[in-house]
Amino acid sequence: MSALVFLIPLSILLAVGALIAFFWAVDHGQFDDLDTPGLLPLTDAPDEPPQEPRQ
Amino acid sequence: MSGRTKTCWHCGEPLPPANAPQAVVAGVAHAVCCAGCRAAAEWIDTLGLADYYRLRSAPAQRPAATTGEQGAILARPEIATQVVRDLGGDRREAVVLVEGIRCSACVWLIERGIGSLRGVVSVEVNAVAQRARFVFDGAQCTLAHIVDALARIGYRAEPLTAAALTDARRRENRAALKRLAVAGIGAMQAMTYASALYFGAIDAQDAPTRDLFRWLAFLTATPVVLYSARPFFTGGWRALAARRLGVDVPVALAIALIYAASLVMALRGGADVYFDSVSMFVFFLLVGRYAEMRARHRAGDLTDALARSTPAFADRVRADGALERIAALELVPGDRVHVAAGARVPADGVLESGHCRVDESALSGESAPIVKARGDALVAGSAVIDGPLAFRVVRVGPDTVVAGIVALATRAQAARPRLARAGERAAALFVGRVLTLAAITAAGWSFVDPSRAFEATLAVLVVSCPCAFALAVPAALTRALGVLARRGVLVVRPDAIEGLAAATHVMFDKTGTLTGIALDRVEPLRDVDCEAALALAASLARGSRHPAADAIAAAAGHASLAPVAAWQSHSGAGVQGQINGRRLRLGSPSFALTDDTGPASLAPPNRAGSPGLEGAAVLADDAGAIAAFHFTERVRPDAQAAVAALAAQGVAIEIASGDARAKVAAIAARLSIAHFIAGARPAAKLARLSALRAEGARVIAVGDGINDAPVLAGADVALALASGTEIAQAASDIVLSTGRLCAIPEALDIARRTLAVLRQNQRWAMGYNLAVVPLGALGFVPPWLAAIGMSASSLVVVLNALRIGRRERHDHVPSDPMSANGRPAAPVALAVIGSPPAQRVVQ
Repeated sequence: MSALVFLIPLSILLAVGALIAFFWAVDHGQFDDLDTPGLLPLTDAPDEPPQEPRQ
Repeated sequence: MSGRTKTCWHCGEPLPPANAPQAVVAGVAHAVCCAGCRAAAEWIDTLGLADYYRLRSAPAQRPAATTGEQGAILARPEIATQVVRDLGGDRREAVVLVEGIRCSACVWLIERGIGSLRGVVSVEVNAVAQRARFVFDGAQCTLAHIVDALARIGYRAEPLTAAALTDARRRENRAALKRLAVAGIGAMQAMTYASALYFGAIDAQDAPTRDLFRWLAFLTATPVVLYSARPFFTGGWRALAARRLGVDVPVALAIALIYAASLVMALRGGADVYFDSVSMFVFFLLVGRYAEMRARHRAGDLTDALARSTPAFADRVRADGALERIAALELVPGDRVHVAAGARVPADGVLESGHCRVDESALSGESAPIVKARGDALVAGSAVIDGPLAFRVVRVGPDTVVAGIVALATRAQAARPRLARAGERAAALFVGRVLTLAAITAAGWSFVDPSRAFEATLAVLVVSCPCAFALAVPAALTRALGVLARRGVLVVRPDAIEGLAAATHVMFDKTGTLTGIALDRVEPLRDVDCEAALALAASLARGSRHPAADAIAAAAGHASLAPVAAWQSHSGAGVQGQINGRRLRLGSPSFALTDDTGPASLAPPNRAGSPGLEGAAVLADDAGAIAAFHFTERVRPDAQAAVAALAAQGVAIEIASGDARAKVAAIAARLSIAHFIAGARPAAKLARLSALRAEGARVIAVGDGINDAPVLAGADVALALASGTEIAQAASDIVLSTGRLCAIPEALDIARRTLAVLRQNQRWAMGYNLAVVPLGALGFVPPWLAAIGMSASSLVVVLNALRIGRRERHDHVPSDPMSANGRPAAPVALAVIGSPPAQRVVQ
């Protein structure tokens, strides 16, 4: 039983942590487009513009 | 001022320290913060709308100093022309984004306030989407008046831009995800604590430990109820405030009851708490809502992708060759615009620089880049792959292909198909019955066994699923419209789906529908090279939409085309223009061979053996005729397949044509169509239509939507083949934007499946509720099981709707060779399009 004293707050902390992480991800547009990123690897890379010679 | 902070009566901002202006509303003076607020408040009062202050639930937005400027932007004529659409006659329509709508009182205020302006015909405000649609009489009122009046009551109007639309959608999606996450994690936690009690891991007799777990469940259920479930409360409240019974009413009632009762039980140390049930209930409901929202967005996404594809800025080439960056809204036809590689074309126009490749996938669904040559049409929204390019603007703002489609879609959001209205009525009726039944259950159990009254009442409220009822129709319709749009079938009037499914006859127009014209041969009338003559003619023809011009342009392919100066189109006759300083005319012989100085002065050399020029197009310059272009009628490549597929679906097919009997008979024989009428004028076609309908047939009429509008109007379902700018103008219920005839049997199939799914959904909702509600009322269903049952039943409805158009998905839509000539290809991608018949634009 005494383990509960430790485990229950831990579970709540974990849940809150997960929610914070999820909110952060949502706010940073990680879930705005769920379709395109999956197709990105299939498209050809655009022609890269000629780069300036490095100094 | 004393210690109490006084705030403005209108906007709620702090009052100035001294000499606050007074606004007299309904005979009572109120302190306001500024002259703007006073003007707003008093104007609202003079309109007799002082009730607003009683009804509102949030203070108004302060009519800030910026309103003048904001109003000015929309009031500028060049911007106004971008926003205002002509509905024919003097009627104009404008859809704008209104910022500052906070509550339903705002909606009421705007609808009454603007509706009272002279010349305003109708006002529709959508508080959720923050947009308002105004229809007004252009002779009595302008958009500037409306924007001004809006500013006076404290709302800012802005052009409805794609960015604004996307923002709203993104906000909704993000908020829904967060609510879902909170509900999901909360429900899991609450279940953990509850199952410890349920399964006896904790000795339920041990009151302190039991209470600890109850309070832990309370802790996790509270954010779920107060945060995640808020849409249900606001939705329920909004419905009640409007004196309707929405589906949110019993849901909100159930959530509030379970939560409050559990809290009371926990405080009193009662027998059962339902914090876990309420969290799960909210979570499952949100899952259903999220699925529905995704489906709705997905349908809208396609349209928005179109709207988004037009850039906000354009680089105009000044007379001295320098570039200036202006808002794309400020472009006018005739401007020369520079577009860099990778950028998007800001307006419809004609390419003036050399070859380049553009990507029109947003419009046509054709993902392969299209090579454009000088003189080719460019459509707003297409992406330039290798550039830069320079082009001359031909159409801007609401005249562009993209805008026409987007406008249709925007207007559509106000349209409610008959089926959906019936579904809503059924749902409202059902909610009323559920509430009554819940009350009866509560009363009944309190006589029999008061200890079970609460549980049974909850079970009735929760297990009954008005959501399944409310979703049954819109889920299926939304899905069907989206699927059809992806096939290039734009449903302008959602009611047409019902008509399509019930159709027994299809009546085709012949020319331009089953057949198209193609260039047969070029006959030189002078000593010229056929290729050169064709190239010249094609250069002229590019700008015209006439089928003959299309045929010439298609035949020329991408031969090097010369730029045309002083291009003019003479309706029904031909086109003229200058190439390299040489005046050229292309059109009917009488037009092309008529000099401005007098008729028929340039008659062609009458060569022996040459057939007459009837039906041919003639190219001529000042020296006389150059070449004649003879056309031939061809059956569209997919007509045979489409007709066969329709016949296989059990639909009778007829041709009604104005052409000569022999020609029509030949085409009918080729397509194995038994019934046809030839030489028919529109009146005769209409008579045939009404004869068919009198016999009980439901007829789909297929035409081009422009020339045969009266005939189409007489049919049960009018289906038009149109492309480009004509899409928005076609007077029909359904537009086939790809020109693929095979889309007709496909659409028929989808419509039939849609109705089938819709009926399944309704039967399921009815059957489910009939089965479980009595069980709940008799107390056999524990609340947690009820929560699962209800959510599962609405998920079944949404998932069932997603079956529409699933099996026969064709990934590639072959393009019709007759329109594959570099002209704006018709959009394939489009979503919920609909417009009430009264607002159809006929031109």
